[in-house]
Amino acid sequence: MRSVTSCFNAMLFRKNLTRFWPLWTMASLLAVLPPLALATALVRGYGDKNPLSLTETYYEALCGPVPVVVLFYAVLCALAVWGYLFGSRSVGMLHAMPITRKGLFCTNFLSGLVMTLIPWAVCGMLFVAVSLAFGLFDPAGVGVTVLCVLGLAVFYFSSATFCAFLTGNVFAMPAFYFVLHFIAMILETLLSALVTLCFFGTTTSYMGRVDFLSPTVWLVGHLDVERTYEEVWIADGGYTDQILSAVDLTRGWAIAAYALVGLVLLACAWLLYRRRPSECAGDVVAVKWMKPVFRYGVAFFAALAGGQALYALFWYDAVTWKFLPLLGCMIVSGVIGYYVASMLLAKSLKVFRGSWKGLAALSAVLLVLCLGLRFDVAGVERRVPALDQVEQVELYLDENNYALIAGEDDALIKQVLELHQAVVEDKNYIQSRQSRWYAAGAGEEETTYLRLRYQLANGLSLARTYMLPLSQTRMDQPDTYDARLSALVETDALKYLRLHLDPSGEMAQGWKTEGLWIYSDVTNFPGLDGTSRDADAVLAALAEDIAAGSWGSPSWSKNEEDRYVVSLEIRYIRTGGWTEDREEDRARNDTVTIILRPEMTHTVETLLELGLIQSTDLITWAEWNAEGGGQTYEMPAEADTGPEAEVVPLNKEVAAVAVIGDGVPARSLRELVN
Amino acid sequence: MIEIKDVVKTFDGFAALSGASLTVETGSVYGLVGPNGAGKSTLIRVLTGIFRQDAGTVCLDGRPVWEDAELKARVASIPDDWYYFLQANINDMMRFYRGFYPAFSQERFERLGEVFQLDRKKAIRHLSKGMQKQAAFWLGLSCMPDYLILDEPVDGLDPVMRRQVWSLVMDDVAQRGTTVLVSSHNLRELEDVCDHVGIMDRGKILLERSLAQLQDNMVKLQVVLPEGMDAVPDEIPVLHASRLGRVHTLIMRMSAREAQERLAPCHPLLVDAVPLTLEEIFIYELGGVDYAVRDIVL
Repeated sequence: MRSVTSCFNAMLFRKNLTRFWPLWTMASLLAVLPPLALATALVRGYGDKNPLSLTETYYEALCGPVPVVVLFYAVLCALAVWGYLFGSRSVGMLHAMPITRKGLFCTNFLSGLVMTLIPWAVCGMLFVAVSLAFGLFDPAGVGVTVLCVLGLAVFYFSSATFCAFLTGNVFAMPAFYFVLHFIAMILETLLSALVTLCFFGTTTSYMGRVDFLSPTVWLVGHLDVERTYEEVWIADGGYTDQILSAVDLTRGWAIAAYALVGLVLLACAWLLYRRRPSECAGDVVAVKWMKPVFRYGVAFFAALAGGQALYALFWYDAVTWKFLPLLGCMIVSGVIGYYVASMLLAKSLKVFRGSWKGLAALSAVLLVLCLGLRFDVAGVERRVPALDQVEQVELYLDENNYALIAGEDDALIKQVLELHQAVVEDKNYIQSRQSRWYAAGAGEEETTYLRLRYQLANGLSLARTYMLPLSQTRMDQPDTYDARLSALVETDALKYLRLHLDPSGEMAQGWKTEGLWIYSDVTNFPGLDGTSRDADAVLAALAEDIAAGSWGSPSWSKNEEDRYVVSLEIRYIRTGGWTEDREEDRARNDTVTIILRPEMTHTVETLLELGLIQSTDLITWAEWNAEGGGQTYEMPAEADTGPEAEVVPLNKEVAAVAVIGDGVPARSLRELVN
Repeated sequence: MIEIKDVVKTFDGFAALSGASLTVETGSVYGLVGPNGAGKSTLIRVLTGIFRQDAGTVCLDGRPVWEDAELKARVASIPDDWYYFLQANINDMMRFYRGFYPAFSQERFERLGEVFQLDRKKAIRHLSKGMQKQAAFWLGLSCMPDYLILDEPVDGLDPVMRRQVWSLVMDDVAQRGTTVLVSSHNLRELEDVCDHVGIMDRGKILLERSLAQLQDNMVKLQVVLPEGMDAVPDEIPVLHASRLGRVHTLIMRMSAREAQERLAPCHPLLVDAVPLTLEEIFIYELGGVDYAVRDIVL
């Protein structure tokens, strides 16, 4: 006689697979396509013949497509095997059968996991067959990929299983699943939007502080393929080539970590099943203690999302916010969310009687939240870190980015903190000027953006963005933010930093020049590339101009008419030790724009010596406009590539031609004009 | 033996079972009757291990049913709304049941095929309600159960098939000592097959007796009283009285002999004891707990 007390029932396992064969068969058919495409490409002679290139393909798939596909496919498999929980007849039949819940749980889980893995197994085996046939088999790459797919399948299917035991409703199950996977990201976005709406200087940008709680987002954003290339001499062709010598999956450990989380969720699912009453089939929430969590969670979420949306629709103001309208919008949205949740829980529209207590509690929480925002109880707006708390400051100021490191740039950090404090203290003034700025329209007032991001010693970071109106009167008053801002920009140390130079004028450690680019703001002036050697020479000249006080003044203090129509960009690249993990290393390249002015004598002289510009190019905007800039210029016939001459709005002398004579690039504006 | 003792089961605060107790002896056929919403189906779901009771004990042969797969392998239950897989035919479901019930008899399944002349390869969802019920019996009886739990079992079956099904069940009882618990509103049919009856109301078993005891405990008398006497004296306990001409029909909760003795001082001209049907017992017993048929004319 067969045992009925086992944890595994072969008949149920087979039944699950045979009942839902269209699901995994269809997925398997789709899974056949990538290896088939590879085989076709190889037969046609396309593709790299290096086994590592195939491993690279596997890893690239693991970095994006695989997690996304498993996310969707796992929930379908879970719906198939746990679907019996959502109908009173089906759950009654299976629970009356001679099998324990443990047996049902284990058998259904295994069959669902197998269903999840079948298409991957088909895909993997075909890839292996193709790679063996073409001599591209890399066992290590295949092994890592198999483990990763297994880990992802365990995680996603286990999380879907967990969601299946939270609910008794077939429609709620996928909804819970996707909410579980993306709630952290959505909540962070909503809370960031609320904070930005209510707090002066805060920023809306999604920081992904908790995106590890949204695994698909984290995996797609953080998994990466690291490739190592070796230079080899190709004797046949007589040239060197770069050959892929190693491929690694960076942060692949995260898949193992998520698989472990999946096992924890699986254990939780089993605990829920042990206590799950069969009669909850059809209920949106199957776990008793989760019902209030669901009701108030939906209400709070609706208050956050709907409240902000309603407020934006009727009361949006880019500068300030109004307490009562926001509170009203949040309460209205929260109440709607509360009743929707109650109706879903009760499976009835008659949920109004006796609901006043819950609504009162919800309103009270929202009132406290809005009061907290109104009076900035947490001190978000006023928060300016102390000097000894700061490890690094990322600063965007006067259209330039800086990274100030504690211990190296303490004086500058202190100036930044004082500036930040002055901005915070002048909040009302700034907001009133901003309101005027928005009312009058852009261009009426001089403004500049200040962005700060502090990396603090406790591991946290603090980011603020301010749009600051500027006035000459206040710049003459030493304690205003206007004056502090100008003083900071005028600091030589900051000017050197801007150019990645150390205080002695030498190139700062970790950076080197890559080249420069000279161009004109006048349309279609041909840009000229300079080498890194040219860039170094120009940088040395700029350092002399800094020392002479003729470069680096804030943009707002300068007359635009006094600048030359040519500008230059210096391109930098990081040297060794660069990693994306470190905040300060996020950008591998940097480009600094230098606006040329007549007083920058050292720089101008160097550019002339290098032959990058001619003296005839040194036209200021004032001169340019005086000579009749802004009129329409008809292009010469020889530059015209179309059937009809193109008429472009342009200053009269400067043609929209990149070449002169027999195709020699123009070296000067006057050359073009003449 | 089925023993259910003081079982309580609540749904969102509503007590579907509030201290229900019953005992079904091995090899007997127990009819569970009661008004709609009395808790019969809930009791059956608790007995088959679908629901877990909040309090009380549910045992088969002295062992709690909950999560005892070995015990449940000896139980076949046929609910009113039998579930089958959407695409399945009878052969598919047979293989499924065979995979779960160690005692499943393929031989019996084949023999029962001659009784239930259904197309085994036709999707069950395409069968009529009555045919689906037949399929449920076919599979349930093939499991060779020691306990057969039936909820409205013959609902939807034609009279011939009803008799056929009962005959099969009775055969099992007679030959294999199968214990049967059957819940039904068809009291006329229960009367023919049950040897014990439990009447259930509001989550409790009001009374459980053998059918003979039940019939012995209540009597229907047709009485003709002497001239000038319009009704029996108030001191004689009568559950229900009606009158047609001079003939009074009295329902009394006592034996026929006792009833006749109580009426003797009235010097009735005629006293005739008529046996009560189960339906009448059901109606008059429940009349005592405020579930009488009301004389309402709309």
